[in-house]
Amino acid sequence: MTGQLECQLVVGAILFVLGAIGFLTRRNLILMMLSAEMMLHGVAVNLTAFGRYHGNSSGQVFTIFVLTIAACEAGLSLALILGLYQRRKSLDVQLWGNLGEPDLPILSAPEESRVEPQHPADLPQLTPAGAMPKTPTQPFSQKV
Amino acid sequence: MSWLNENCLWLIPAAPLAACLWIVVAGQFFRRDKAHRVVVLGLLASWLCALNLLLVVVPSTFEDHGEHAAAATEVPHGGRLETKPGSVSYFIYDWFHVRGAGSQPASMSDRQFKADSGGLSVPVELRADALSALMLVMVTSVSLLVAIFASGYMHGDPGYPRFFGALSLFVFSMCMLVLASNFLLLFVFWEAVGLCSYLLIGFWFHKPSAAAAAKKAFVVNRIGDFGLILGIFLIWTTFGTLEFDRVLANPWLIQQTVAAQPEIFTTICLLLFIGAVGKSAQFPLHVWLPDAMEGPTPVSALIHAATMVTAGVYLVARCSPLFVHSPFALQVVAGIGAATALIAAITALTQYDLKRVLAYSTVSQLGYMFMSLGAAGANPQELMQPAVTFALFHMFTHAFFKAVLFLSAGSVMHAMGDVIDMRRFSGLRKALPITWVTFLAGALALAGVPLLSGFWSKDEILAVLHRAAQSEPHGVYYTVILCIALLTALMTAFYTFRAYFLTFHGPEVFPPEAGHHPHDAPPVMAGPLYILGLAALFIGLATGPTHLYGHYLHHTPGLPAPVVAHHADGHAAEGDHAAGEHGHDWFMMLTSSILAVGGIAAAYLVYGKHPGAQGVKEPTPLAKLSLNGLYLDDIYLALVVKPLRSLAELSEIIDRLVIDKIVDGVALVPAFLASILRPIQNGLVQHYAFVMLLGLAASLVWMLQALAGTP
Repeated sequence: MTGQLECQLVVGAILFVLGAIGFLTRRNLILMMLSAEMMLHGVAVNLTAFGRYHGNSSGQVFTIFVLTIAACEAGLSLALILGLYQRRKSLDVQLWGNLGEPDLPILSAPEESRVEPQHPADLPQLTPAGAMPKTPTQPFSQKV
Repeated sequence: MSWLNENCLWLIPAAPLAACLWIVVAGQFFRRDKAHRVVVLGLLASWLCALNLLLVVVPSTFEDHGEHAAAATEVPHGGRLETKPGSVSYFIYDWFHVRGAGSQPASMSDRQFKADSGGLSVPVELRADALSALMLVMVTSVSLLVAIFASGYMHGDPGYPRFFGALSLFVFSMCMLVLASNFLLLFVFWEAVGLCSYLLIGFWFHKPSAAAAAKKAFVVNRIGDFGLILGIFLIWTTFGTLEFDRVLANPWLIQQTVAAQPEIFTTICLLLFIGAVGKSAQFPLHVWLPDAMEGPTPVSALIHAATMVTAGVYLVARCSPLFVHSPFALQVVAGIGAATALIAAITALTQYDLKRVLAYSTVSQLGYMFMSLGAAGANPQELMQPAVTFALFHMFTHAFFKAVLFLSAGSVMHAMGDVIDMRRFSGLRKALPITWVTFLAGALALAGVPLLSGFWSKDEILAVLHRAAQSEPHGVYYTVILCIALLTALMTAFYTFRAYFLTFHGPEVFPPEAGHHPHDAPPVMAGPLYILGLAALFIGLATGPTHLYGHYLHHTPGLPAPVVAHHADGHAAEGDHAAGEHGHDWFMMLTSSILAVGGIAAAYLVYGKHPGAQGVKEPTPLAKLSLNGLYLDDIYLALVVKPLRSLAELSEIIDRLVIDKIVDGVALVPAFLASILRPIQNGLVQHYAFVMLLGLAASLVWMLQALAGTP
């Protein structure tokens, strides 16, 4: 049984760590919020695992609380992100580095390592809302 | 009346101090041109109290010198007059006590004996004896007359109240110097008179030459003060106390020290003499006095003729009980006095600035006083009393005739529109009769014409030197000094009357600054001139050969009496005249009269019929040597001033480039440390989140460790 608990805790840990890494390395505000949500889910998995370990449903009850909190927090953060977007018309978090000093190097991934799209036509494009998407010219299975 | 007797001692310095404080507080602001009134009133009060001291209070202590060697009961209450044989003291307050290493616990009643245990107690106490009383009368009378003169002379000057404030502060300091009862208090007021001299020389501080002269006077004085303070330290280590009563008026303590360490007296006396050299402008520290003529003429008359420069003479005279035991120091005193007299007289021969002639003349006459004091070195036991007496007598008469000379020069300046260069005016005796007459009186006295003041005092000095020259074993040395004194007497007469003839005789020439008609001294200036002129003529006759001065002075306790068998007590004997006091030295009188008249005649021959306002002639090299003060000023500039200035500039460079850079470097360290820590806050949200995560992890680890630790 303990092997099972450990595996479940590892899953929770993996979710948490993935969420942490995503939060720390993303530039997009919405993706940062998604990563934070993932951290919360990792915690929820942990709680459920311990609930099953102890054989009562306290863990699952606590998980319901956590999810409720997560929902509220998601609403709050979306409101904040909307407000921030209204200001700068961009979702880049690095625009909001006012507390730092202008002459210091920013300790994040340098600009050059970001992969630039070679050809705009290679990237998948979403059609604008309300319009019919273009019909594919070739069947999906034969796409390269 | 008894109130006056009880309190005249502290009133003498207090009146000028009150006048100064009044001017500082109120006189600067309202009725500025009447600021002289309170000062003249204060000085008048001071003078009257000094007269009372001289005529009533101090003589009342003369009766009870007798066999009780120890002092009378001394219970120090604040403010009571105490009488000891020959002196009165007035205790004001205890300045400080320092307990010695191995002393009993302090108790107020034996402050006199605390000295024995290695400590030091310095009270602010006034003490007057015969010497002090005579000096005070001289100081206050000349100050009063100069203040009255100055109220006319300085009329219209924008700094009028400041002048009188500084003047009264000076008189206060000088009176306190004379009345001080211990060496430390004397030193405090020694410095204070130097300060007032600085304030008054640099009175017109906008003039760069005046500011520089004031600085020079103060710095050169300071050099002398260094020696003085070392002497005072040595007195304390030798005698354990600084009180005059215990050091100077106590023959038992001196005899003990003579028995134990006789050579200490030479060191002490030489150090004290260095202080006198600085203050009384003797060679090599005489260079400040001629430059001090940048100050207003009343200042020159008061400070640099009659009072401050005599402080050195006063010091040596006061410490004569110490000098008696060191013939070597006395010979040094005589030698320096002679050198000074000669150098100053040579320099005065070609000066064209009237005030500078008088300044060098003052230096020369001070040299005379020190020659007299040093004449005792030939035979200290016998000659000390006449030497000190006649030095002080010459100081007394010199004050009056030099003051009248300076004030007449001031009157000349006043009339000539502040021109004092003798090459630019001449023939003033018809235009300025009052000034002419008073200057002539002073000049005759200075030259030593028979029967006038200067004659009596100078002649007595020559007599003492003659006695010294006749005694063994230093007879040759004192003969040389005597010859220098005689030569200087001749030169004194010559240059004094050179100045007189150049100024008052010859064709009438006025400089353009004089306006269309030079006016003579107004009554407020003429009054002091007349009084001082009369004093210059007759005070020597009145107090010298009649032995009034000498007899009075001999009541000073501690003044060494000539050792003539039958007087066992240490007090000066009033009935015993030393061998040379009666029986005037007719040979010296004749010689000095011949020299005086000869000098005047020589001056008449050379300058009597001069063509008037003798334009600028190129002087011969010898004359240039004399004119530039034997180039002593230039020697000092090259040997002392320039090296010090370059050292100062070097220090400034080091300070700016090395020390300031080090300080700046120290200031860079926090900035450097900060630059290491600063990038932690770079404004990225994720960065802050990462730090939070790290903190969370750390606290988690710590909590788990704590949980694991508990059993």
